[in-house]
Amino acid sequence: MKFKTLLLSSLILASTAALAEPTHRLFATNEKDNTVSVIDSRTNKVETTIDIGQRPRGIGLSPDQTMLYVAISEDNAIAVVDVKTLEVIKTLDAGDDPETFGVNPVSGHIVISNEDDGEATFLDPKSGEKLAVVQVGIEPEGVAVSPTGKYALVTSESSNMVHIIETTKYEAVAHLVVGARPRGLAFNSNGSLAYATSEIGNEVAIIDMETLKVIKKSGIDVENSKPMDIKVSPDDKMLYVTTGRGNSVAFLDAETLELKGNVPVGKRVWGLDLSKDGSMIYTADGVDGTVSVVDTAKQERIKTIEVGSFPWGVALDD
Amino acid sequence: MYHLKKYGLFLFFIWPQWLMADEIEVTMHYVGPTEGQVWLGVQQGLQEANLQGGFLGQKYQIEVVEPDALETTEIETVLLLATDDDYIMKVAQSEQFAAIPVINLISRSDELRESCLPNLFHITPSDEMRADALAQWQEKNPDKPANVQSWHEDFVKFAASQLNNRFKKSQGEAMTDQAWAGWAGTKMIADSVVQTMQYDAEFMLNHLKTDLVFDGQKGDNANFRENGQLRQILLLVDNDNKIVAEAPLRGFKGGLDSLGKVTCK
Repeated sequence: MKFKTLLLSSLILASTAALAEPTHRLFATNEKDNTVSVIDSRTNKVETTIDIGQRPRGIGLSPDQTMLYVAISEDNAIAVVDVKTLEVIKTLDAGDDPETFGVNPVSGHIVISNEDDGEATFLDPKSGEKLAVVQVGIEPEGVAVSPTGKYALVTSESSNMVHIIETTKYEAVAHLVVGARPRGLAFNSNGSLAYATSEIGNEVAIIDMETLKVIKKSGIDVENSKPMDIKVSPDDKMLYVTTGRGNSVAFLDAETLELKGNVPVGKRVWGLDLSKDGSMIYTADGVDGTVSVVDTAKQERIKTIEVGSFPWGVALDD
Repeated sequence: MYHLKKYGLFLFFIWPQWLMADEIEVTMHYVGPTEGQVWLGVQQGLQEANLQGGFLGQKYQIEVVEPDALETTEIETVLLLATDDDYIMKVAQSEQFAAIPVINLISRSDELRESCLPNLFHITPSDEMRADALAQWQEKNPDKPANVQSWHEDFVKFAASQLNNRFKKSQGEAMTDQAWAGWAGTKMIADSVVQTMQYDAEFMLNHLKTDLVFDGQKGDNANFRENGQLRQILLLVDNDNKIVAEAPLRGFKGGLDSLGKVTCK
């Protein structure tokens, strides 16, 4: 046990040490433009737009934050972009219709949800090798990998489940029923708890990662709320949830799931990212074609940035 | 490794029982054609029910009942009907099925909705809902003819395209109104079992009336009105078979309940 802890902390140290100087760039996938907008998060201005491939949706960074990964669904691939030079370095075969993905913070492996096939694909982005394909439910969507890298969680929208996969065995160890049409997933900082949103059920569920059981569920009392993406504040006290056609970010107490605030952003808000210090939220407002910047302390939108057509997700290199 | 060996025997005895804890076998009874679109829809729903339930040790089956044999059949969970209106009315009114959810999959009859029988549910939109959807369309687009459908093979939004894709892949033809109704009626019951871990008919009847949260892949939560009608959007389709709008159209008050009757008053 001690050895494990030691190993883990040295791994975390190693990855921290390897962190590149952040570019402070915010990236947004524009689903209907086949582009990624690059925003300077210090000025909140669009710096440039990258042609990326067909139907870009899921977006995320490598653990060392040198590479940006973008799921280009209709090209059945993940595009790899150099965060500094903004060059598309390569595209990785990602299986059929990759919608989104999670990145294992320890191994660097990418875990992809293949929407049409009901599968999760494990990919090594360095070699491009497909490591494993795991059967999940119908219409897999959200993916999150635990901070220790042990578990990958995948939601299946039309099977109402969160599938818990052990990443070393590529094997599902639990299938948890949650509210109708589960979408987004997030872990708290030490990975002891996970959170899942349900779009049609209008719920957030808390999963205990020790017992692998749902320990609490609660609705979101926001008009027209259809919960999508979710992030946890760095102090683990607050959940930030985009509400889709509720056109807002809901602030929920991470323990009680009580609504603590609701900040209006753009129309049909989906993806969301949070600055490392927890001060700023960035959202992809699909119908409005904007990225909103929300100050978490003020609970207020402080900036609206025009991007491309139907922004889907955002990722911040800070 | 040593510990694993030591406890191997122990695990052997515990594991199967732990597996059985969730094991459920659900039989849905069905009266109707065993070919054509509604049947393919039911089959699609069943396939998805088994895929979903398979993760939890649950099994689902459809038992086809001949119309004349229904009286002597014991219904465990639900009775799905794709029959004529008289038969639906007769079954739903009979004492024998009073505590069983009777689901009318494809009849659009307004009379059946107006009967407001407490055990009778309707998946496909009524004639009146369709007429209201058309009226909304015509008020805004006087010169453009359109037809009303509850589903369309080119429908994309709300993950409709995913359902269209997998239906076509599994059943070999495009999904129509009747297929969607067959799918929705079956999947709704399976989803309810998964959510509640209960499947006796009386429980299901109550659940459908008060607690149902169902993703019909048409947007909002699809639940039942007081008169037993499933809430849902409708599609306006032009003469070139292109989807031109969704009803309720923008600007009409009442949301989904602006289409057809809602209550039993």
